[in-house]
Amino acid sequence: MTLQQFETLYSTTKDSVTKHVMAEKFDNLEEHLEKFVENIRQLGIIVSDFQPSSQTGLNQKLNFMITGLQDIEKCRQQLHDINVPLEVFEYIDQGRNPQLYTKECLERALAKNEQVKGKIDTLTKFKSLLISELGKVFPEEMAKYKAIHGDDPPS
Amino acid sequence: MTEIYSSLFGQNDAQPPTGPAALGFAPGKPPPPMPPNQAPVAAQIPAQHGDEGPTLRKPGAMNEPFYLLRELPVGNDLTGNTNLITHYNLEHAYNKFCGKKVKEKLSNFLPELPGMIDCPGVQDGSSLRSLIEKNPVCGNSFSPLTGALLTGFRLHTGPLPEQYRLMHIQPPKKKSKHKHRHHRPQDPLPPETPSDSDPKKKKKKRDDDPDRKKKKKDKKKKKNRHSPDHPGLTGSQTNSNSLR
Repeated sequence: MTLQQFETLYSTTKDSVTKHVMAEKFDNLEEHLEKFVENIRQLGIIVSDFQPSSQTGLNQKLNFMITGLQDIEKCRQQLHDINVPLEVFEYIDQGRNPQLYTKECLERALAKNEQVKGKIDTLTKFKSLLISELGKVFPEEMAKYKAIHGDDPPS
Repeated sequence: MTEIYSSLFGQNDAQPPTGPAALGFAPGKPPPPMPPNQAPVAAQIPAQHGDEGPTLRKPGAMNEPFYLLRELPVGNDLTGNTNLITHYNLEHAYNKFCGKKVKEKLSNFLPELPGMIDCPGVQDGSSLRSLIEKNPVCGNSFSPLTGALLTGFRLHTGPLPEQYRLMHIQPPKKKSKHKHRHHRPQDPLPPETPSDSDPKKKKKKRDDDPDRKKKKKDKKKKKNRHSPDHPGLTGSQTNSNSLR
């Protein structure tokens, strides 16, 4: 195995391990949040039509709510380095799917990438044309220019 | 640009000189002689114009036919010329989000979340933006409720007043083709609201329709039995009709 192959293998393995560890942390938080939401929903059902026999169940649900908050608080420490863009919050506040934000980011990135690539290609062609035309009009000066800068890399 | 030219040629006057001589572009004339204070002026240039990229050449090189000849910038391996999505291994993500149609509503992303989540958060004060603007109190520890504290949660028996029943309103779910209805256990019946009355009416109409259809079918069968053109009629039936 060559050094380059080893580096590629190492970087891909590291990425997959990192993703797996992050996925576990997110799964853990998601599980706690789902349990918390379900507990709150059941609490609301008990309260909506309260009976005296439901008091013990209500007290239990209230304490489950507190333990749920404690569990979520513990998850927070594992995810302190996660940054969420503020634009996603706007999507969620409008009741829209946050995956649309990811989609639009990717589309914008690709569009900008294509735009910049077009500019690079156009300027490269312009440079080669300019050098060739200047070489025709000012051959001695262009020879000195090439001597200073060296031969230009092929465009 | 005139400031650069004037500083290069050692003209430290407050007013920049006018005319082509200031630019050093007089046709057929040799370049102006180097003043003795040229070096410190040139040395100031990188400090003043450090943001403009590569530094200018040394004054000694200015005697060559090229003025303001800068060094080429250091080549960057990663430019817009490369496909950044493949470079950062985002092809799978791109196909996942941009190849397929992503549904618009938040409830499609979180189908298990109860309540009306597709409504804007500003309406019921549940927006995330308000959470950022008004930070909640953090740092206090969560301690379980004791018996004395739980006495504060003794509730009156009976259903909630109508003004507090909003949280149990579920959005109307799409009816599946198989017509299976999965009800959650202990779900209270949602109160009658204007939005709910229409599907109920529709349900009533649909309930009536099969009954109506059955009645129509029965009527048709009766008509067909009594009609003379019906193939199933026998002599006994006609006699029975005639006797009537």
